[in-house]
Amino acid sequence: MTATLFSRRLLSHEAMLALLLALALFTLSRLSDSFLSSANLLNQVRLMAEIGLIALAMTLVIVTGGIDLSVGSITGLSAILLGVLWSKLGIPLPMAAVLAIAGGMVAGLANGLIITRFGVPPLIATLATMAFYRGLAEGLSQGRSVRGYPESFYVLGQGDVLGVPTQVLILLVAAILVGIALQMTAFGRTVLAIGANETAARFSSLPVDRVKLIVYGFSGLMAGLAGVLLVSRVTTTRSDMGMGWELDAITAVVLGGASIFGGRGTVLGTVLALALIQCLKNGLSLAGVKADGTIVLIGLFLIAAVLLGNLMDRIAAR
Amino acid sequence: MVAAPSHRATQDTGWPHRWLSGHGQVLVVLGAIVALFVVVSFVNQRFLSPANLTTIFSGNAYIAVAAIGMTMVIITGHIDVSVGALIGVLATIAGTLAVAGWPLWMVWLAPLVVGVLVNTLAGALVAYAGIPSIVLTLGFLSILKGGLIVVTGGDWISDLPRGFFLAQMKLFGLPVPMLTALVLTLAVAWWMAHFRFGRAIYAVGSNPEAARAIGISVERTVVGVFALHGLFAGIAAVLFATQLTIIQSTVPPNLELMIITACVIGGVSILGGVGTVIGAALATILFATITSAMIFTNVSAYWLRAVIGGLILITVLADVARRRRQA
Amino acid sequence: MIPLRVTEVSKSYGGVRALRPVSFDVRAGEVHALLGENGAGKSTLIRIMSGLVAPDTGQIEVDGAARVFRSPRDAARAGIVTIHQELLLFPDLSIAENICMADDPAALGWVDRAAQLSKARALLADLDSGDVDPAQPLRTLSVAQRQRVEIARALGRQARVLIMDEPTASLADADVARLIAIVRRLRERGVAIVYVSHKLSEVRSLADRVTILRDGGFVATRPAEGMTEADMIGLMVGRSISELYPKGEPKIGAEMLRVEGLTLAPRVQDVSFSLRSGEILGLAGLVGAGRTELARLIFGLDRPGAGRIILNGTEIRVASPQAAVAQGIAYVPEDRGLQGLVRSMPVAANVTMASLSKVVRGLFLSSRAEEAAGQDAIQQLGIRAPRGPAHIAGKLSGGNQQKVVVAKWLRSMPKVLILDEPTRGVDVGAKAEIHALMGDLTRQGLAILMISSELPEVLGMSDRVLVMARGRVTGLFERAEATPERVAAAMVAEMQGAS
Repeated sequence: MTATLFSRRLLSHEAMLALLLALALFTLSRLSDSFLSSANLLNQVRLMAEIGLIALAMTLVIVTGGIDLSVGSITGLSAILLGVLWSKLGIPLPMAAVLAIAGGMVAGLANGLIITRFGVPPLIATLATMAFYRGLAEGLSQGRSVRGYPESFYVLGQGDVLGVPTQVLILLVAAILVGIALQMTAFGRTVLAIGANETAARFSSLPVDRVKLIVYGFSGLMAGLAGVLLVSRVTTTRSDMGMGWELDAITAVVLGGASIFGGRGTVLGTVLALALIQCLKNGLSLAGVKADGTIVLIGLFLIAAVLLGNLMDRIAAR
Repeated sequence: MVAAPSHRATQDTGWPHRWLSGHGQVLVVLGAIVALFVVVSFVNQRFLSPANLTTIFSGNAYIAVAAIGMTMVIITGHIDVSVGALIGVLATIAGTLAVAGWPLWMVWLAPLVVGVLVNTLAGALVAYAGIPSIVLTLGFLSILKGGLIVVTGGDWISDLPRGFFLAQMKLFGLPVPMLTALVLTLAVAWWMAHFRFGRAIYAVGSNPEAARAIGISVERTVVGVFALHGLFAGIAAVLFATQLTIIQSTVPPNLELMIITACVIGGVSILGGVGTVIGAALATILFATITSAMIFTNVSAYWLRAVIGGLILITVLADVARRRRQA
Repeated sequence: MIPLRVTEVSKSYGGVRALRPVSFDVRAGEVHALLGENGAGKSTLIRIMSGLVAPDTGQIEVDGAARVFRSPRDAARAGIVTIHQELLLFPDLSIAENICMADDPAALGWVDRAAQLSKARALLADLDSGDVDPAQPLRTLSVAQRQRVEIARALGRQARVLIMDEPTASLADADVARLIAIVRRLRERGVAIVYVSHKLSEVRSLADRVTILRDGGFVATRPAEGMTEADMIGLMVGRSISELYPKGEPKIGAEMLRVEGLTLAPRVQDVSFSLRSGEILGLAGLVGAGRTELARLIFGLDRPGAGRIILNGTEIRVASPQAAVAQGIAYVPEDRGLQGLVRSMPVAANVTMASLSKVVRGLFLSSRAEEAAGQDAIQQLGIRAPRGPAHIAGKLSGGNQQKVVVAKWLRSMPKVLILDEPTRGVDVGAKAEIHALMGDLTRQGLAILMISSELPEVLGMSDRVLVMARGRVTGLFERAEATPERVAAAMVAEMQGAS
């Protein structure tokens, strides 16, 4: 569907984001000579890859009108699973990584079941599992971190493929796939319909529960993948990994133009928003502001993004 | 629906039965506390030592105070995940003012004022700007958390003046935190049962449309509730700040989770309209008891969050199942 | 003094006339019934009188003085309280609080719980509900009891005019009798009661005067004494049937759908019927008769407790709407805004929603195919959408929206099409078009089950008429023998010895 009213509003939102991004890039390049070097840019994307993957899945979740607060905890849980499976149980690393990621998916599917089968609202379900999964991670790790992974493992988090950081490639591929799925497949249409009017979607014989299950399972899968990538990047496993990442992901999705109430959102918007946030983080650190300063701005951005979104909705409704 | 003749639908009207069905959750919590006490003191006598009892009932009292405000917020159908960060900020404000030599009564009052102001803003944004409370308070969470570290630079506050440590004092023979939590919980429970605004809180949570129809301003109720929540967060912050000889610059981890969980397990339904502050306070004691029990029975403390998480999951599932059955 | 009078009030919603100028009044100590079919304008009139909407023209007078109601609270202060079908109560609060909270909800102040309890007790006793303990939470009560709580609340607010909207729609017989006794007692006390109901027998036994609305306009106000149910129906139905409902020669084929003993207590009890291809089976009944519930069972939205569904000779199980569609059953629901359409999406997206696989090419949704589908639908059904398939569905008029929903279901190539109130809220022109479409479809072999609360529509369009009351089939008539009187009689028939 080419420029219908429905996507026209969003296109303008994305255009605005792209403009802001260009502005940010320009400003930062003036602040620091090394900013625009390919080494730095690629490194920046590397840093945002893990949250990026989570935000991609979160886009789908929020578009269905739901939310997933447990992604940060699932990231931590899968990091711990990786560590425990490999160092305690002696499972070969590749296998352990796959199992850790699968563990994330299982956690996500559990979320989905609680939401579809038991009818618990997503907010509450994932608030509860957020605590539970983090608790599992802490319990399994007993406060100890795991180190000493083999060099070969670091290719994921620190290596390059044809000059491009591995995670960047993974993020790119994932973004394209999820973007295509959302905009151009029957699955994506179902996701949008559920967020726009779940009752009508059900009445129209769309497989609502199945799609929700997939969406939450995918969210867990991405969080699991992010956990493994994170371990590979920072070379250790700790149980507090991923803490607070749900906020970053939700902010990116909402800033990217998705409606928190569901029914509207694009992967392009999320990716642009992610880039913008990363630029902000980079710029602030170049200016000497510590990481904690950036989360203040992220919080402000989130609130501003929702306010703006609401405002635009009200204007459009007139 | 074609209903059966109505006289059969009325339940047993006996007073004990009625109270039980409405407050069953509170009794479960009470029972769990008693059970834990009995079991653990069998295993390890020192569990009942005055020092430990003080920790359980007094050391965690500030959580119970914060839970008072959170109970009201959840009853109206909203949530606040930023309260932990807020308490950290308010505690730092108290410490900073104390070190700077402000009179003690102002030092203790400032957090309350700031807490009310911050949360009134939050409530207004939720009620009037239509921002879902989860999103808004997620945003506030990072603003407060990051802001705290930016401002303090990560430094802890020490060299606090002698009279500052309110939480270590005693009044009428009882530790101040315990007394505060007790008095405030009972007072608010009574207020919510007998005053118009308190009843309006339940009405808005139970059926906002019906509340509007009889003239209750849903927006003003929500803002008022958030403001009160800020007040109690401030009191909790004062208790928290004056407990130890230093004030950390980080927010205690899990604090908002503990507070929300205390409410939920204490019988406050996350779907709104139901619950009491007494239940929340008892649940706080339950957590403190569980934490202590885990220490005294040599169960690894690292499983604490899993236990709490599991509890909240079970409680929520049961609550939703119960609501479904009634509908 | 006339407690409430409205003079020449009218209302339009976005260009659609919901109510033409109507005058209505109710006297103290009177039960004034308001009759009319769905879409006749009753609910709009009620909303004006209860303060929910402001009328476009005309005025409202309370005790002879002109008043403007900006909200239901204004109306309540003037002594006019409405008891809606959807009860506005607080399930988690006590009964006493539900009754007394409306009295004076100032923001602060002590609440005298003891006084509330005794006031509630007195009010409930007055309504012959002394068996209810006002200290209990409301959610322990049945629907009938909750309704009495609402009435008690209204009385507690010193209501002088009580507007009751379909009060007995969800009640069992014993509770209906109790309610009627209460209404009579209120009348004796001088309360003015506006009684909106479909149940003509109740109206006949209770009302002092009767006002009938039709097609958004006033028909008549008569004393109830001396009016028969047939008289009432006659005035409600009015116009000549054959003018409005062009019915060509039906081409009825073999049995397509048969339902045997379908049950889902308590709303659907032992329903059996058969539906042939090329036929329109009209399903008539009062609100609450179980017709939509029956449709939901056939379409797989709910699962039956007992009974069989046989499609084209084979017994089938319909576990979900997906299964229904796969087998060739389609359902155009009652509430098109909430259930039928995704209003924020364009026409093309709505039209393809029940048959997405048809516009999928390989892995992808083909926007070209979708646009073509939208264009097809617009042409075939005569949908007036200025922006074509990209027009946002929510911005179309009611009639065109309905056509979009029908188009969606037609694309799923059903063998059986269930239409639930297909022309509700649709203007006359679009109504005729939808009826013509139904005729076309049946001539192509489609079997149609049409649920409708508009008697003329049922009588005009159906080849056979099936009537339900209280969850059971109470009548089955061939077209020739389906007269308004017989159908109406079956609609209100009691269980025993139903035809």
